[in-house]
Amino acid sequence: MTRAAPAVHVVDDDADFRTALARMLCASGFEVLSYSSGGDFLARGTHGCGCVVADLRMPQIDGLALQQACTRAGLTMPFVFLTGDADVPSAVSALKHGAVDFLDKRAPREALLGAIRAALERDLQARSMRSRQEQLHRRFAALSEREHEVLAQVVQGRMNKQIAADLAIHERTVKLHRTSITGKLGVRSVAELTTLVRESQLPG
Amino acid sequence: MTLVTLVWAVGAASALTFTVLYGLVWLSDRRKLENLLFCFAVVGFVGLAGVELGMMHAASPAEYERWAYWYQLPLAIGITAQVLFVRQYLGSGRDWLLWTVILTRVAVLLANFLMEPSFNFEHISSIAHVTFLGEQVTVIDSAVVRSWQWLPLLNCILFVAYIADAALTLWHRGAREARQRALVAGIGFVVPLALAVALSQSAVLGIARLPILGAPSFLITTMVMAVELSRQLRLGRRGREEAVELRSELARVGRITALGQLAAALAHELNQPLGAILRNAEAAEVLLEQSVPNITELKAIMADIRRDDSRAGAVIDKMRAMIKRSSAETRSVPVQELVRDTLALAHAEALERQVILNCSFATSLPPVAADRVQISQVLLNLIINGMDAMASCPPPGRRLMIEAHAADAATVLVTVADSGPGIRSETVKRMFDPFFTTKPDGMGMGLPVSRSIVEAHGGRLWAEPNEGGRGLSMRFTLPRAATGLA
Repeated sequence: MTRAAPAVHVVDDDADFRTALARMLCASGFEVLSYSSGGDFLARGTHGCGCVVADLRMPQIDGLALQQACTRAGLTMPFVFLTGDADVPSAVSALKHGAVDFLDKRAPREALLGAIRAALERDLQARSMRSRQEQLHRRFAALSEREHEVLAQVVQGRMNKQIAADLAIHERTVKLHRTSITGKLGVRSVAELTTLVRESQLPG
Repeated sequence: MTLVTLVWAVGAASALTFTVLYGLVWLSDRRKLENLLFCFAVVGFVGLAGVELGMMHAASPAEYERWAYWYQLPLAIGITAQVLFVRQYLGSGRDWLLWTVILTRVAVLLANFLMEPSFNFEHISSIAHVTFLGEQVTVIDSAVVRSWQWLPLLNCILFVAYIADAALTLWHRGAREARQRALVAGIGFVVPLALAVALSQSAVLGIARLPILGAPSFLITTMVMAVELSRQLRLGRRGREEAVELRSELARVGRITALGQLAAALAHELNQPLGAILRNAEAAEVLLEQSVPNITELKAIMADIRRDDSRAGAVIDKMRAMIKRSSAETRSVPVQELVRDTLALAHAEALERQVILNCSFATSLPPVAADRVQISQVLLNLIINGMDAMASCPPPGRRLMIEAHAADAATVLVTVADSGPGIRSETVKRMFDPFFTTKPDGMGMGLPVSRSIVEAHGGRLWAEPNEGGRGLSMRFTLPRAATGLA
């Protein structure tokens, strides 16, 4: 988890266009980082956060290949593609792999900025979801093995007496475990506990 | 004249007529050997018919023997021609069988010439007269048949085997046309041949009191051959027409693909600098809205815009140079020759579209300084455009006139005038714009490219409505060739 500010990562082999785009985005208030090729981006840009604005047609690693390389590397930054001559198959492929948008290089500024904002927003949401998951995992990790066993039974709606019989412990011990669990997880009711457990089981 | 004489003579005459016809076909295309073979087969048949008539009218056993002696010659010619025709026509069959058929037949013929009185008979002792098709004809009454008689019979059986094998092979290849051929050969050759063998052998061996009858079945076979040859002639013509059509279609697709690629390459090359200019301009706008604009940054932006503009311009210059480059081949070219050569190229298309092409030249027309290929391209382009423009007119009114005269001391004016419906004035304004087209499958590149070619030659290309009438004239000028230009 990196603490860097969200940035627009511009990847384009054409220096003139790259500079112009970076300049415009900077002036529009974005944090911008530029890369002259897909390789350059993979070498130094993958630890950042924000979104990627990439040229579709580039030598060696083209836009689609870069997007797929990022997916393989577990990098979830959303992509916005720019192209000089859009063709339908590439557009379909890009959008299937989760690209936010697919724009002409000379698309209106508002369309481009809209796509970039949407991409940044998507990245922000994805990251906040990921960080909540991580936080939950940390909290659950604080529970002891016995507490996990008790928790599993509690969320199934079983009574203390039944849990005590199952685990061959005293009912009072069960109560103690429950107090400890709610304390560690910072919840007040069984309902809240159940919600939390379900949330932690979501794919992160 | 009696029926037998009439039938044999008319059959021979009509077969000879076909021979002349297909002989001419063979002379026009010597690769078509089947036509020549057909002629030989007819020669064989006619000879056979003559000899059989002679036999039928023989007055003595000795005369009959003499005719029987000559019988082998037309038979050998006819059978050899037929078997080779089948070979050529079916394109299948076993070679060794083919050669066995031919060699046994030649062997019979040679042996015949060495034997007295003939290959078939050692001696014909008496003749008889029977009524055949209402005529008194001579037949063999008693004769001693040579023991070698099995050899010609074997030859005929081998011939049948060869055809059957070749036809079956072709049938199994399965194509519809091939199967039809196999069937024709199977029935058209084998059945008459079997009939001829049965009839003549029964006459020779004295089984039936019949004249020796080979000619009727030979006639049937030659007719089958003639019908098939005429079918091939028709198919051949259709094939040529299809080839012409395919070629022009390919050329059209090729033109479109090349232009499509050019357009795509151009779009990509131009999009980069144009995109950069746009983004820079947008950045400048945003910067200018700030309370204290960053002048240094704005200056850098302006410099970049200027650079990208010249970069886009360079792409266009490069394309122009590409078109101009090949115009180094400027020579002194007679306009008449240039126009006539181009008309020859357009001739097939004009025929197909039922357009009448005419040209007229001023009497003293100086040669022009031009690249022959490029100006020919321009002319062809204008001619095709003219034809396209007249597609909606009824055929008798489709006229395309190419005219040339000296416009002044230094230039020659060439006009391509169509008789189409003409075009609207807004189209005239836009017709030289790249990618502007009125055709459903057009690229809109023909006229702009033509204009740049003409301009590269130092001429002009423009359009104007025909004087006092329908249609459009495309006119272009070319500089007159300097004297001494080779």
